[in-house]
Amino acid sequence: MAYRSPQLSAKSNTTARPNPRPWAARMAAATALCMLSCAAVAQSTQPANTANHSAAAKPASADAAQNSKFDPRDLSGVWNPAPYMQPKGEVNPLDLGGNPKPLPPFTPTGRAAYEANKKFVAAGAVTSCDPYGTARNFFTPRPFEVINAKDRILMHFEYYSDWREIWTDGRNFPEDPEPDFMGYSIGKWEGNTFVVESKDYNGKQFLTWQGFPIGLDMHQTERWQRMDHDTLKILFTFDDPQNYLKPWSITYFWKRKNWQLDAHPCTISELKEWDQRMGHVDGLPGLDYGKAPAGK
Amino acid sequence: MKSKRVVSSGVLAGIFAISTLLFAHHGGSEYDTKNLKTLKGAVTEYYWANPHCQIFLDVKDDSGKTVNWGIETLAPAVLRRAGWNPQLLKPGDLVTLVVAPSKKGTPIGMIRKLILPDGKELTGGELGEQPPQKSSN
Repeated sequence: MAYRSPQLSAKSNTTARPNPRPWAARMAAATALCMLSCAAVAQSTQPANTANHSAAAKPASADAAQNSKFDPRDLSGVWNPAPYMQPKGEVNPLDLGGNPKPLPPFTPTGRAAYEANKKFVAAGAVTSCDPYGTARNFFTPRPFEVINAKDRILMHFEYYSDWREIWTDGRNFPEDPEPDFMGYSIGKWEGNTFVVESKDYNGKQFLTWQGFPIGLDMHQTERWQRMDHDTLKILFTFDDPQNYLKPWSITYFWKRKNWQLDAHPCTISELKEWDQRMGHVDGLPGLDYGKAPAGK
Repeated sequence: MKSKRVVSSGVLAGIFAISTLLFAHHGGSEYDTKNLKTLKGAVTEYYWANPHCQIFLDVKDDSGKTVNWGIETLAPAVLRRAGWNPQLLKPGDLVTLVVAPSKKGTPIGMIRKLILPDGKELTGGELGEQPPQKSSN
């Protein structure tokens, strides 16, 4: 049975389990508080949708009416990726056929890391529940939610239920960083563009599903622009001299949805159950990579 | 009886805008998206869970032998948005599934369409926004 957040489980006979990530639970609690206390900050035009997980399509006329009065500085809400809007000629993070073109401008070190990662990715192995970092979460074709708080913006990525904080209280990067998967992010407004700078990544994740590496010194810049009521554009620039000869960019788009995100945490127990139920006897990797069940 | 084999959960070309093996928890093989198969039979198990849901279905093959097929879907969150829920199917339900079968010939498939006993049809969900459809008018 899938873990579901408490507010959702009332509508389902699924069994809620303790969140396997205590920090994620804390973030969820903080979010709940934020959603109560920060409504004025959020200025969200999105109607509450606590009763329906589905697309809950609104009449076109309602959308049109809302479209005329969006706040370009309000990024809150649920955003679903629109990969088809990416400009042609850029590195396509969903070109997953094994031979993506174009490739980022790798250094020799970066190319070697990519080739090594590529083998891992091609194997399709899911051997851990490590957070996806920021870029890979953005480029996973699943929605995320943006929640405004007084001193930060919170992002909740549906896939694997990863959380990210973007500090907006004017702070700088910490002098004693603790690198981790999600890095450390600070954001500020330049006109109607929200500029996010991130670093302090631990280098253990990929930028994309293709396995493009992340160096310990990577500096990621995002320039968020709400183009209209329903469209969000983010220009990503990755500056990582260890792995790439020069900074390179991806432009990506999202569409605003009247959705409530569902729960999709990565849990070792469910991955194990998947392995056991479906029986990775085709030699496919699982948590016990390479070990086929007895009786194969 | 549960299927003893599994292939990768590639997202179906022509169904989802994003076609890839990698939004999967196992890699290595592809489903045959060019030769879809229609399966009619009785549900033996409907398993609603992350990372992906599964439907097991007893289907009679051409020789009359009953074969238990294991059908993979996308994640519960994606299915919900396509109109599915954990109570949608129960053992014994007679349903029709359109699937992309395993290229290995094993009784495994990736869902493309579900037709319920009352005739209602559901897709297997979408990953990301789909390009706007051009008007045929």
